Amino acid sequence: MKRRAFNVGFTAVAALAAAASVALFAAILGTVLWRGFDALSWSFVSEGMRAAGAEGGIVYQIAGTAILVLTAVAAAVPLAAGAGVWLVMYAGNAAKRAFEATLHAVNGIPSIVFGLLGFAFFFELLGLKKSWLAGGLLLALMILPTLVVAFVEKLRSIPQSTIHAAFGLGLRRGDVVRTVLLPQGVSGLLTGTLLGIARAAGETAPILFTAAIFSGATIPTGIADNPVLALPYHIFVLAQDSFDPAMRSGMWGTAAVLVVLVTCASALAIPLRLKIGEEAARE
Amino acid sequence: MTAVVCLAVGGAVLYLVAGSLTALRQEGWAFFTTARWSYRHGEFGAASMLFGSIAVALMALLLAVPLAIAAAVFLSEMCSRRVRVALKVAVELLAGIPSVVYGLLGVLFLRDWIAALFDRAGVDALSADTLLTAGVLLAVMVLPTIATLSDDALHAVPRVSREAARGLGLTRAETIATVVVPHAAPGLIGAVLLGFGRAVGETIAVFLVVGRADNRELSLNALFDAGQTITSKLGGSETNIAAGDPMHGSAMIALGLVLLTLVLCATLAAEGLRGRLAGAR
Repeated sequence: MKRRAFNVGFTAVAALAAAASVALFAAILGTVLWRGFDALSWSFVSEGMRAAGAEGGIVYQIAGTAILVLTAVAAAVPLAAGAGVWLVMYAGNAAKRAFEATLHAVNGIPSIVFGLLGFAFFFELLGLKKSWLAGGLLLALMILPTLVVAFVEKLRSIPQSTIHAAFGLGLRRGDVVRTVLLPQGVSGLLTGTLLGIARAAGETAPILFTAAIFSGATIPTGIADNPVLALPYHIFVLAQDSFDPAMRSGMWGTAAVLVVLVTCASALAIPLRLKIGEEAARE
Repeated sequence: MTAVVCLAVGGAVLYLVAGSLTALRQEGWAFFTTARWSYRHGEFGAASMLFGSIAVALMALLLAVPLAIAAAVFLSEMCSRRVRVALKVAVELLAGIPSVVYGLLGVLFLRDWIAALFDRAGVDALSADTLLTAGVLLAVMVLPTIATLSDDALHAVPRVSREAARGLGLTRAETIATVVVPHAAPGLIGAVLLGFGRAVGETIAVFLVVGRADNRELSLNALFDAGQTITSKLGGSETNIAAGDPMHGSAMIALGLVLLTLVLCATLAAEGLRGRLAGAR
């Protein structure tokens, strides 16, 4: 009887914990979207900011975030493609382990440390001041592990027999990469890229000192001393002024835009990830 | 390509270590043991930031770990495959919500709730921007990470072990408590360590609710008062100010190095534990 009670109680506690977690997050997402959509309008996403964020829209924050994210992706995708192919096809065991450890380490570096390092390197050493390029490259390094891991996972799920068959046909290693690995691995790279976009779009700390300002920037025309506005930085600054009710609507609206952007990017990656997982399990 | 990445990482670590030396040489152990940080007086004792960082992370774990592991037990052991995949997807989407959004929720809701709590408990606090507020907010932020990693660890326990235990007549709860959880313990500890690393390294959300008050005493009472973490210090305007003064700049870099060391130790230990689990399978 006591054992039965323990079983029931244990099950109930676990189920309750799961339900509470889900409810907590439904509440968080619901709050942001519900309050945010109240603040959204066509003019909010198509106009520039006025009155220090109390009026107007966030079109240049959206543009700035797009510039940062696209720069990061443009820099990270070729790096990840090269690194992934190298890891699977060319690297010796020791080099492979060293590189994987490096990736793990990069993935573990707190984002503010990226900000600090980027400030020292781009702002001070290269004298770029605040620049969209500095922010984009920093974000590229941050999301690189995500891209490489997703790409390599997909590459490793390619059946060995396919690769052996390609070599058996007399193809050289470079040809195998071009005709087998890249076409089959591209969905992994795409998954990683989507996850990377989600991460890069939402990061504040790396662009704090290197790329973002709160007002007075539109579309950059050069590299050095060409900062951008950005969605997360906008929320960050407004949140410090949160006692002013006039700012509330702008905050919620920006948060909703950012959450929708990030969630869409990572949601798009889900079907691809599930498929790769299944293939890997079948091997 | 690969060489570029390795060089960049190597260069970064070298920069942090070399850059810290000036300040660490001046302060010695006092950098870690004294709570006196004043760049106007050229004093750099980071003890209260170190205390703040560890305190908020531990509070977050204290609140999040029981809930996360209980939820993981449900995910891994008690629901169907479809429900598990759906919940895991939801959890991972939510883990991806940018920290500035959590910070915003902290500023607009959690701060008021903590203020109400202080009123009811009779705590005489000047504001509700406290280490406790940051800890509670971080608990919510690390919950999905710990839950999904714990679920991975539990799920990796071989089916045979469960079947053997059930075959001996144990109930499901007894099987989980005496076989599955002990078996998955290294992975669970790894999940908690990764959660710790995330909590210590989190900047933006903490910055917004921690109060950012320097040089507070190191005591339990300080948890209910404004404080400072390493990350909130680095995220503030002092990083810009410090660029003009070699000693001050070096002290800020040393903070970055301490933070990185803390987080990397937790992350690498966690990877080691989780790797052992995967290897054992």
